[in-house]
Amino acid sequence: MGATTPGLRRLYAPRPVTARTGPNGTPLAVGDVDVATVREEWEVDDRWWIPERLQRRYFDLALANGRSVVVFRCALSGRWYRQRA
Amino acid sequence: MPPSAPYIELHAHSAFSFLDGASTPMELAAAAEDHGYAALALTDHDGIWGSREFAEACKGLELRPITGAELTVTLPESPDFAHLTLLVESATGYRNLCRLLTMAHSHTRDNPGRVASQPWATLEQLEEHAEGLVCLSGCARDGALAGAWERRDTARGERLGRRLLGAFGRGRFRVELQRPYWRHDRARNRWLAQLAARLGVPCVATGNVHSHSRRRGRLQDAFVAIGLGETLEESEPRRRGNRSSALVAPAAMAARFAEHPEAVAETVRLGERLQFDLTTDLGYQHPRQGDRDADDELAGLCAHRLTESYAGRPSRDEAEGRLDQELATIRHLNLSGFFLLHHELLELAREVAVEVRGRASARAVLPPGRGRGSSVSSIVCYLTGLSHIDPVEKNLFSGRFLNDEAQTLPDIDLDFPRDIREVLIPRVHEVYGADRSALVAAFPTYRPRGVVRDLGKALGLPPGEIERVAKTTGFHESAGEMEQDVIAAIGAERAAAPRWKALLWLCDDAMGLPRNASQHSGGMVISTEPLVDVCPIVPAAMVGRQIVQWDKDSCSDARLLKIDLLGLGMLSAVERCVEEVATTRGEELDLSRLALDDRETYESIRAAETTGVFQIESRAQMQMLPRTRPQNLDDLTVQVALVRPGPIQGGAVHPYIERRKLQRQCEGESREYEIPYEHPLLEGALEETLGTIVYQEQVLEVAIDLADFNHAEAERLRRAMSRKRSQQAIDEHRDSFLVGAVGAKKVPLETAERVWEQIQGFAGFGFPKAHSAAFGLLAYQSAWLRVHRGEEFLCALLNEQPMGFYPPDALVQEARRRNIRIVPPDANRSKVLCHVETPRAAVVGSGDPRPHEQRGGSVEGPPTPPHSAGVVRGGLVVRVGLGYVKGVRKEEMEALVAERERGGAYRGVADLASRSGAGIASLERLAWAGALDGTPLDAAATHADATVAESTGGSPVGGERRQALWGVGVTANGRGGARRTQLALPIEPPQAPPLEPLGDWGELIADYRSTGIALGKHPMELMRPGIDPALLSSSELERAKDGGMVEVAGMVVARQRPGTAKGIVFMTLEDEHGIVNVIVPKRVYERHRATVRAAVMVRARGRLERREGVVNVLVESVEPLERGEAQAPPPLGPEQPPAHRARSKSQPEPSSRRARELAVAELRSVAPAGHSFGRRGR
Repeated sequence: MGATTPGLRRLYAPRPVTARTGPNGTPLAVGDVDVATVREEWEVDDRWWIPERLQRRYFDLALANGRSVVVFRCALSGRWYRQRA
Repeated sequence: MPPSAPYIELHAHSAFSFLDGASTPMELAAAAEDHGYAALALTDHDGIWGSREFAEACKGLELRPITGAELTVTLPESPDFAHLTLLVESATGYRNLCRLLTMAHSHTRDNPGRVASQPWATLEQLEEHAEGLVCLSGCARDGALAGAWERRDTARGERLGRRLLGAFGRGRFRVELQRPYWRHDRARNRWLAQLAARLGVPCVATGNVHSHSRRRGRLQDAFVAIGLGETLEESEPRRRGNRSSALVAPAAMAARFAEHPEAVAETVRLGERLQFDLTTDLGYQHPRQGDRDADDELAGLCAHRLTESYAGRPSRDEAEGRLDQELATIRHLNLSGFFLLHHELLELAREVAVEVRGRASARAVLPPGRGRGSSVSSIVCYLTGLSHIDPVEKNLFSGRFLNDEAQTLPDIDLDFPRDIREVLIPRVHEVYGADRSALVAAFPTYRPRGVVRDLGKALGLPPGEIERVAKTTGFHESAGEMEQDVIAAIGAERAAAPRWKALLWLCDDAMGLPRNASQHSGGMVISTEPLVDVCPIVPAAMVGRQIVQWDKDSCSDARLLKIDLLGLGMLSAVERCVEEVATTRGEELDLSRLALDDRETYESIRAAETTGVFQIESRAQMQMLPRTRPQNLDDLTVQVALVRPGPIQGGAVHPYIERRKLQRQCEGESREYEIPYEHPLLEGALEETLGTIVYQEQVLEVAIDLADFNHAEAERLRRAMSRKRSQQAIDEHRDSFLVGAVGAKKVPLETAERVWEQIQGFAGFGFPKAHSAAFGLLAYQSAWLRVHRGEEFLCALLNEQPMGFYPPDALVQEARRRNIRIVPPDANRSKVLCHVETPRAAVVGSGDPRPHEQRGGSVEGPPTPPHSAGVVRGGLVVRVGLGYVKGVRKEEMEALVAERERGGAYRGVADLASRSGAGIASLERLAWAGALDGTPLDAAATHADATVAESTGGSPVGGERRQALWGVGVTANGRGGARRTQLALPIEPPQAPPLEPLGDWGELIADYRSTGIALGKHPMELMRPGIDPALLSSSELERAKDGGMVEVAGMVVARQRPGTAKGIVFMTLEDEHGIVNVIVPKRVYERHRATVRAAVMVRARGRLERREGVVNVLVESVEPLERGEAQAPPPLGPEQPPAHRARSKSQPEPSSRRARELAVAELRSVAPAGHSFGRRGR
């Protein structure tokens, strides 16, 4: 997801996670924890004019352990990330 | 259409939302049909600009158009605007929508610059015009209700919802849910659904579509950035952020709203209710439609005029017959009122013409305007003054204009001189009322330069690079060619940068989309009923003008009465010329009485000496004239029509030229030429054009004679050919043409196919014969004036710029080669506009009785060889006007001239600075232009200068521009001050220090910088001694051997890349002797595109081709002149590019090569750009 300058830490940097998904691409579990509810779902497809293109499908999830989490799937890499939002 | 389509799209924007929509209505309609939609609503922002085009596009599809708009409203208790989606349910609703949109735009130009601002209507206005409209509560971000939720002001949202419910009722108010895949969609929609439940109205789902495909979503992003004047990065908060605003299949939309199935179902219920059809339910009637008194009135008027016009003429019987026939057709079509209204307008124009021209003017004898287009073929138009060509005498076929089966209203186009038209248009608004007349809209579309500039800025590309690329993309072209331009302008490495790649990617999509709404050049809609009930009216950028929201095609589809009041530059020039002739020669020219067989005029036309002549001055025309050899007006009529895309692509040009040549040979041998028709049935239609299709109406005649079409079918074919994007429509006519020809007329299939190919080729564009006849006459008149009143004609052309094929400098150089004398602006002699001086007038009212050119000023009329080969004609001189100097203030020049006429000639620069009222900026520019060369530095010098001049036989005194500039600097006031005028103080300047004269090259640069016209030596004359002697001049080229390799050089005055020429570029170069015609084949153009497109001076190497008196160089290489010359160090003579001359002696002398490069670079920056012409549109 891009390197940062040494000595600086990027806030809210996305962190890779694993996700198990259903047939429509909606996450069923994040890591080992099942998804209780999908609260919201949105998309970002932007910066297409530069190499750092964003193409993400976000989910605001309530997990079975009672925690909330925002994850996204990067359509360019196919990987899942967790992001504070 | 699947009957079970679960969703109808009720909210879609096209490119007619101007920078908030990235697809045409046609693209949306086609995509919607592909997806299986039953109906689609077009709801552009504050307008129905594309609604008619959309409705027409849907006709051929299984898609029902719904008319609507997204209206911007002001909110109570808030400074914010909000959007509401309005959909038309009935004719009353449509009228209300038109009135609301008219009101929303009524204030948009109420600012000093008349810059278009945000349209808006008030809620009160909406409430008063709610009947017949369905109101949806608006989009997710700016909608009246959703926007309140976004702003966390839900209480106000609820109040607003109740107010809208009150206005529209439960039957016609819906809460709009959208799912743009933004962060809080679900929460917002939950709140909206709860609100809808409290209000007791259904929710309805919409997609807020902004493009017909996901791919086009990127362009939508860029458009939003352009609209905001920001980069893509800066505009992120206002962009949509993803591709979800593209049109997708109904099932996908239903799935998107899985949590609100009732809102999806409601789209279908509501869509089925909205049955208003714009193509049938408009209810417009043109003025006096059905008024039988109008029939008698028109017949009486025509009969009266016929008696006058045809008295004692053998053609009277035929004229009466044609009149009876036309009047019967007009009665049948219910069009008498239509013609009477046009007649009424012409009478109004006559009144305006008297006001504008003045009763005593030489122009007063001229008619107020002239007809053009197919209406010129009508005897009713001729008799009512709407045409100036006798259709009986000219044997013009009126079927194209008027026939019993016509589906649309006939077009009557009138050309007016520009000054009359400027007054006439607002007068029509005054006379017919602001709610009953308006100009037709036009939609300027994105073309390469605009695309590069707008998209380049949005992409954050460096302005310098953008400009370099934009200047290279002079022609209209595809994205592939654009890539080559980018590489040529900024290099392959930069062109490969991601942002440049993105620009190229976007260009193809953007090209041809409307950029904004503008006014048509003169099409005007007039109605006796309020026009605002038919189409919204909005203020135009020009004061006193307003436009309807439809373009000419939409107005024509709606059968609105449209009259074209066009401004024709040449008509203005011809009138100016007539007036100038009256002033200089005391002669009242009546153009309508010119002999139409003037030998000298036709000789000049046949010799292609037609620079400045209407319609036959282009490179292509000049190349053809020596071959077609026009001998009369009929030949000129063909000539005007021949060099058009239609005849060229239809393959008519070469056969016509060859046949005409053979016909002439036969005439010389007193035998008849047998025309080789494709089929004997074509004889009647094509005899006058020797078996080729040259005129538009010949397409109709061929279709009728060869393929058994009736008039209506033939007219539909013609209309299909006259529209943009018409190929598909034309193809549909092919089958019926072949069936008719082979079946009914027994024409062999191969012949029918060949003729169809000619018709199809003609689709590009062609003139009706009547139009060509009108233009041919003006071509003849302007050629006559050029030959016999050359000074006045040149003067008129200069004053009427911009117009025509050549820049003013090229017109002047050509005139000088004909020994017409042009002298520079002079503060003591010039008027604001250019004028013609007689020898007597040249000394009147001047402080110095000697004309400047006699005083040996820096500029002579025709210079010594090569320009002054002959004798200067007539003693007349064209004086460049003060207003021609770039950057001067017009009102200051008017004051300067007025003061001179009031108080006598300026006695010196100090006198000029104190009396004229001109500021230092204007005076400096006049000094650079040489306009003060005739004004001595101080008054005391006047007498001394005269004495010196007498003793030296008119040698230069006080005539240097640098001295004049110095004088301005010490006598004129500063740049500040409220009025920027010089106090009338007796300031006498001290003696000027010794200043280097500018020299020939310096004056050339100063001329180009100030007036754009070089009145000294031609740049090529100055460069000639130092350049490669192998380069042939234009005069040497005349003697060069056909087929030999030659090298030529010159300034580029015009470049053309017609869409019909398969990538070939035609360049016109000019040197000190004349013109060199250069043909650049596609492969050479590909190698040298930057040079071909942007270089000011070029050298070209190629093979000389000489055909029937026409000389061309078919080039193999083209390069900028300065680059080529840098190879060989040229000797620098006193008259050559003297980059070193202005240097002080202490500075090192540059190498001659460097000096030349610098000098040419300076020339390149100031020389007038050659005119570029190319293909248009997508």
